[in-house]
Amino acid sequence: MIWLTWRQHRIEGLITLGVLAVLGVFLLITGLNMYHDFQQSGLSACLAHYTDGALRTVCGPLANAFGAQFQSLILVSAAPLLLPALLGVLVGGPLVAREYQQRTHLLVWMQSVTRSRWLTVKLALVLGAGAVAAGALLALMIWWYGPFSQLNGRFSPPAYDFEGPVLVGVTVMALALGIAAGTVTRRTVPAILLTFALLLAVRYTVELGGLRANFEPPIVVTWPLAQGLGSGPPVTLSMQDWVIDGGFIDAQGHITNDLNCSGGSSVSNAQTPPAIPPAPLNPLQCAQAQGYHSFALNYQPADRFWTFQWIETSLYLAISALAVAVTAFLVRRRLS
Amino acid sequence: MSTVLETTGLSKRYGRTWALQDCTLALPSGRVAALVGPNGAGKTTLLLLCVGLLDPTAGSVQVFGRSPHQQAAETLPRLSFVAQDHPLYKDFTVSDLLTLGRRLNPRWDDALARARMQHLGIPLTRPTGKLSGGQQAQVALVLALAKRPDLLLLDEPLASLDPLARRDFLRTLMDAQLETGQTVLLSSHIIGDLERVCDYLIILSAAHVQLAGDINEIARTHKRLVGPRQDVAAIARVHTIIETSHTARQTTLLVRTSGPIVDTSWEVQEASLEDIVLAYLTQQAAEATKATERMQAPLPAAQEPQGLEQEIEEVEL
Repeated sequence: MIWLTWRQHRIEGLITLGVLAVLGVFLLITGLNMYHDFQQSGLSACLAHYTDGALRTVCGPLANAFGAQFQSLILVSAAPLLLPALLGVLVGGPLVAREYQQRTHLLVWMQSVTRSRWLTVKLALVLGAGAVAAGALLALMIWWYGPFSQLNGRFSPPAYDFEGPVLVGVTVMALALGIAAGTVTRRTVPAILLTFALLLAVRYTVELGGLRANFEPPIVVTWPLAQGLGSGPPVTLSMQDWVIDGGFIDAQGHITNDLNCSGGSSVSNAQTPPAIPPAPLNPLQCAQAQGYHSFALNYQPADRFWTFQWIETSLYLAISALAVAVTAFLVRRRLS
Repeated sequence: MSTVLETTGLSKRYGRTWALQDCTLALPSGRVAALVGPNGAGKTTLLLLCVGLLDPTAGSVQVFGRSPHQQAAETLPRLSFVAQDHPLYKDFTVSDLLTLGRRLNPRWDDALARARMQHLGIPLTRPTGKLSGGQQAQVALVLALAKRPDLLLLDEPLASLDPLARRDFLRTLMDAQLETGQTVLLSSHIIGDLERVCDYLIILSAAHVQLAGDINEIARTHKRLVGPRQDVAAIARVHTIIETSHTARQTTLLVRTSGPIVDTSWEVQEASLEDIVLAYLTQQAAEATKATERMQAPLPAAQEPQGLEQEIEEVEL
């Protein structure tokens, strides 16, 4: 069975390996360059010397220069988002679907290996290989992103996705969902589409839908409007904290930064914590007129990073387990 | 002679349609059996149930005294199955497929597989997708044979082959069968091809087994009776009439005899196997038509239209 799994998936396996190798070389070259500059420019020493609160004022110019030079490389961080999806769609989707479609399940299930064993070995090898590939990419990305993570933090997207075991979890999930989708549809192309839709649904719920932001209730900081538009929160936020949302808070605890005053004033959100909110056309009176009494900011403190990583990884692994259960049930029960 | 395959009241339903109903038969060891029936009669369903790829809705199937579905680990090594259109991994070379067979089957006979491929002139390095249809069928058969099964099942193995490929295919099959004495069950919608190689016949039609038995026995007990046009009630009292046809002056019957024909007004002729099979299938079709007509006519009372409807519906997997 191990031989058969390798024989059937060696092309995908080698392509994945090739992509990882090319990416690895690229990350190594750019990474070394980046680390070199990080040290030489004194940014590294500056960051080590000053607390995060002083980042903007003291190390700011150095950080800006570093950012200007390497910011475009951040596009690389799309790789850890793409790899799991591609594996799920292109390897997971066809894994069982292609057998049904070409009717080779009638050949392979009639060898002296039971269907359960066939599926167990295939799942173990393919999911295992996916996890190893994701682990390798994870290690590369953690190293490569090191300087950026000191500047931008690793809790907020996109760094969160490749700074911890979530990357392995999401890769295993993508593969498992693909395999389950293929077992349900029994056709390769619908399997690919269904896998893609499922992955989008999960990721949308977790990221944009706010599931991740609420694994633990975010800490809400408020301060009175009277302190004026230039004022900052009464806590020192580090770059490692994840600021989710900021703006004005009403009596019910709703936070908004879109006031819709007749003046057309809308306040940009507070991704960069100390600068809340920059002032367009007198939004302060506008906010007061609409019943808001305070500025507010909600965030997840940096020390929750690993808790969040493990919660989200467990969630993805639970979804994987469900997908595997569906696959096993259908493979054992249904023939065509 | 022991029984290799035994089904009791075996039934399979897909949704609301019965693909196979109340099928009871026993296949003795060492036989080469033909499973004959029109398309959609339930042949594929029966074979898939026998190899354990499907599980029955009702009744039971036993292969070597075990359930092929529940006890697949024990039965699979002793079973081979060649599915319709002999699916193969098209991107595998012939050699890859032999490796697959060797690694997945404890009883695999690699020498036999290689010898057969060489004998057939099939290059081991070629991807199976690039072989001719006849060669692909041969490869599928060799894979099944090299597994050294005690029971080999083939679903419509000849359907997609040209006459020459059919002959070669059957030759490979019969050579192997003579050597090993394994039991073979092969399905077809026509008997002609199988008549020369089979010694056992199962007729399946409209989800039911119509007849099962030794081919010589069937040939011996089935007769064609030709006589002046007359009422057939007298014959029907002793023998079973399978098919009746009248012309203006003549009546022709195909009967399953329960003894000698004593009425001298009938001329007794031998019936060919093909005639016998056709007679059973015609009989079934006629009954189905009658059932349909009964259903379409306004029913005087609640009859049980459900059962009739299911009987005539056909499902091909």
